[in-house]
Amino acid sequence: MIGSLSHHSGRSALALGAFYLLLATPIARDWLEASMSRHMLVQMPLLVVIGIIAARLVPVRVQDSLLIRFGGAWPCVIAAMFASSYWMLPRALDAALTDPWAEVAKFITLPFLVGFPLVLAWRRLTLIGRGFVWTNFFSMLAVLGWLYIVAPVRVCNSYLVNDQENAGWYMVIASVLLFFWWLGTLLVGGGVGPDKPDQGGSGGTFA
Amino acid sequence: MATYTYTPVPDQGAKAGVLAYLVVSCVVLLLMMLFGLLMRMEQAQMISIGALWFYKIMTLHGAGMVGIVALAGAAIMWHFLRQYVDLSTGIFMANLILFLTGVVMILASVLLGDFHAAWTFLFPLPSTSMGMWSPGAAALFMGGLLVIGVGFVLLHLDIARAIISRYGGLGRGLGWPQLFGPDDGNAPPPAVVASTMVTIVNLVGLVAGASILVMMLVNLYVPSFEIDPLLAKGMIYFFGHVFINAVIYMAVIAVYEILPRYTQRPWKSNKVFLASWTASTIMVMFIFPHHLLMDYAFPKWFLIMGHIIGYLNTFPILIVTGYGAMMIVYRSGIRWDMCSRLLFVSLFGWAVGAMPAFIDGTITVNYVMHNTLWVPGHFHTYLLLGMVAMVFGFMYYLTKPNENAPDSALDIAAFWGFVIGTLGFTMSFLYSGKISAPRRYAEHLPEWVPYDKIASYFVILLIASVLVFIFRFLTRLGLASRDYQRASLARSMAT
Repeated sequence: MIGSLSHHSGRSALALGAFYLLLATPIARDWLEASMSRHMLVQMPLLVVIGIIAARLVPVRVQDSLLIRFGGAWPCVIAAMFASSYWMLPRALDAALTDPWAEVAKFITLPFLVGFPLVLAWRRLTLIGRGFVWTNFFSMLAVLGWLYIVAPVRVCNSYLVNDQENAGWYMVIASVLLFFWWLGTLLVGGGVGPDKPDQGGSGGTFA
Repeated sequence: MATYTYTPVPDQGAKAGVLAYLVVSCVVLLLMMLFGLLMRMEQAQMISIGALWFYKIMTLHGAGMVGIVALAGAAIMWHFLRQYVDLSTGIFMANLILFLTGVVMILASVLLGDFHAAWTFLFPLPSTSMGMWSPGAAALFMGGLLVIGVGFVLLHLDIARAIISRYGGLGRGLGWPQLFGPDDGNAPPPAVVASTMVTIVNLVGLVAGASILVMMLVNLYVPSFEIDPLLAKGMIYFFGHVFINAVIYMAVIAVYEILPRYTQRPWKSNKVFLASWTASTIMVMFIFPHHLLMDYAFPKWFLIMGHIIGYLNTFPILIVTGYGAMMIVYRSGIRWDMCSRLLFVSLFGWAVGAMPAFIDGTITVNYVMHNTLWVPGHFHTYLLLGMVAMVFGFMYYLTKPNENAPDSALDIAAFWGFVIGTLGFTMSFLYSGKISAPRRYAEHLPEWVPYDKIASYFVILLIASVLVFIFRFLTRLGLASRDYQRASLARSMAT
């Protein structure tokens, strides 16, 4: 059983690595980074998702020891919030397109400083902690979308104003849809999280 | 078919946190009432504080009253809900600390920074003060509201956590299995159903409110990031209306929990009760457009929705609660004391107070009435004689010396003073609305002044009565934390 699980995890890790490399290919990068909406709302979230899946493939006891080494759940959440906030800056988007080192940094930080630590922390967060992260994310995503819609100037040198407006509207729509999805999970009782921070929990749900 | 029998439950004393909430509520409520009196006396030309102070006081009165009734409602909800689910005292106290921090910020903004754009802080007024206040003062006010909102988000997340842990989901907290399936009699008690509803609607409202507050803070310092004023007004009223509606849904838990203790009859979480709360969970989020009916630039469907849902939402919980209370009390042999009186009259105040809003929610009436004193007449009735009466009823319940303790003549006089004072004061508002006296005007025409004077006298009677209520609560505070039988059993039950 353990052997088959490891085998399964190994194949998943391989597939994940292949997908990660696929995203890094020039063709995929060119296509995803050609529009602001795809860059911000497809490529970057996919990189975060890769970090999330990677963390879930790590055995639980390794996750636990990493979490202890990183100082607990909240340092991980704060690291994820800061790293993701940086990549929300228009200047960071421009840098990723013009400076190869910034592009490399994006491919490393989004999976490993956002997705990965969030999964480590998530198992230890109660519904209050998770709810705080989610409600903060929804309202800030909506506000960021609004900023992109009403900005009087082109915020990224690399993208046109209409692309910027589209990205803004997608962010507002995404925040509303995600909010109601989250509320729905509370209504039907999914994704509660541990009742107390020290009770562990499966970490199998996002909500 | 489920059968319902009353199972006696012991009267629990309040935790220190609940008492801290109530003491803060008493102090702020009294202060805000005095501010209200000053405004009415200014309009009545009995004093002369000037327009600047009028609008500063109006801003404090509005924001302060909304905040403090929410705090008092939260105390009632938390006190009873914790008897069913495991709530966090730390989060409850964090909310109080954040609330007080927000209050200090708002007080500084208004008293030191001269901010006076009303509690509605409608865009673009906070950022276009024409030199009357600084951007810093506006930011402090909106930041204060944001801090208070964060506290309530935490409180509601904790309530959601506790209800989900106990019942398995907020849908189950609303009793959906019993509502949509066979009623096995195991639906959550009314306190849990009401708390679930309040948690859902307030989380939605507070996220929208936080978003518009941050947007306006950005606009305050970078005006080139423009906000659509209609969008801003819609979001502010969505958040504000949901929040102020939720306070009475928190406070009504006192009625659900305390009246059955007096009459020894159960408050049933039957299908009708559950259906009304589920319906209102949805509708309360869509009724705010009745405040926007004069904004013709809004899409027509949006305004018609506000009209229709405004009509529909007036009734479910109100009828279920009012009818339920009458059924519980009818021929029960209830022994009336200050607590049961105040709780019962609160349902009258809620019902009567909802009617002017129902009328004002009609588009053709709204065009004429909405910017008159008719609207303050509505919300002062349902908040004062409805919600605040529930809070004082709860305070009398907590501090009643024993189940047979008689009320003093002073308390009974204060009760009638409260009822008559509130009715006289709110009727003056409503009548002023009828004769087209506008709301939010510091100076009134001579034709309106007599009604302002009448209102001021009734407010003095009201405040005198409230002073008695608060004095009684504070002097008996030591009793409030003890566990003992408080409710006077109905005569048929008493030995």
